[in-house]
Amino acid sequence: MTKRTMTLNLTDAEMRVLEELCAKKDLSKTALLRQALRLYQVVEARLEKGDKLFFEDDRTKEKAEVMML
Amino acid sequence: MTVTVSPVYLFDVQRGEAAAAELWDAVTERQLADWEAEWLPELFNAIQRLHRAGVERRLWPQSRQWNWRRKVQVLQGVLAHPGFSVVCENVTQGMMIVDTTTKRCRIESQKGQHLVYVEFVANAPWNRPELVSPPRFRGIGSVLIRAAIALSQEEEFKGRIGLHSLPQANSFYANTCGMTDLGVDPNYEGLRYFEMTPEQAEAFIAKGNQP
Repeated sequence: MTKRTMTLNLTDAEMRVLEELCAKKDLSKTALLRQALRLYQVVEARLEKGDKLFFEDDRTKEKAEVMML
Repeated sequence: MTVTVSPVYLFDVQRGEAAAAELWDAVTERQLADWEAEWLPELFNAIQRLHRAGVERRLWPQSRQWNWRRKVQVLQGVLAHPGFSVVCENVTQGMMIVDTTTKRCRIESQKGQHLVYVEFVANAPWNRPELVSPPRFRGIGSVLIRAAIALSQEEEFKGRIGLHSLPQANSFYANTCGMTDLGVDPNYEGLRYFEMTPEQAEAFIAKGNQP
């Protein structure tokens, strides 16, 4: 599959978070950002359908809605 | 849509020899036409045979209810859900849709890491030993699992894959693929959940590469 290259401008804080996540997930910056893009697309599609995004506490089963404004 | 086609081999059971086939990194309109025109009539015939033989409905292949056209339409253009197919003798022999994004590893040593989750995988009815004896081709499941591992490696997930298995495929994932059986998942229709670690993925690939 053909891939295209782009330059990404991030603040120091954003770069720090990116590097922390890359270390935690053992992924390169490219792989991590591709994952983020896919997840963003999935979430956006569900929200457009009228779905809500929740996090559920695995222990208490308590749900907290993530407000997407 | 650009489709990459790679050469693979299946085993022609009746001829007792290898058969050249193709792995496509997509499920296209052609696969859906094969599913409607070739798979469905054969599947209905097979289910009719099971019914007439007195086989209980709960033992019929559960994938009979999968509507591949609807699945592909819903997932069209969604980056998180690429598809694969195997074509041999000009007919689709197997299809798979995976999820690269929303699932994480459950196995303790890999917990929380990314993996490729096999959402749907199916053989053409004439390749399923539980429906047709002898089946036409063997090796489709292995080709598709290898494709899922290759995608996992390409995405830097190190070959990690996971799936919920239909009952008739439990032995294939445990014994042929060497995946870890994490038991029945009460949150997923009571199906067993299997996961493959990077080491198991390497072992599976090495096994396939042996002469």
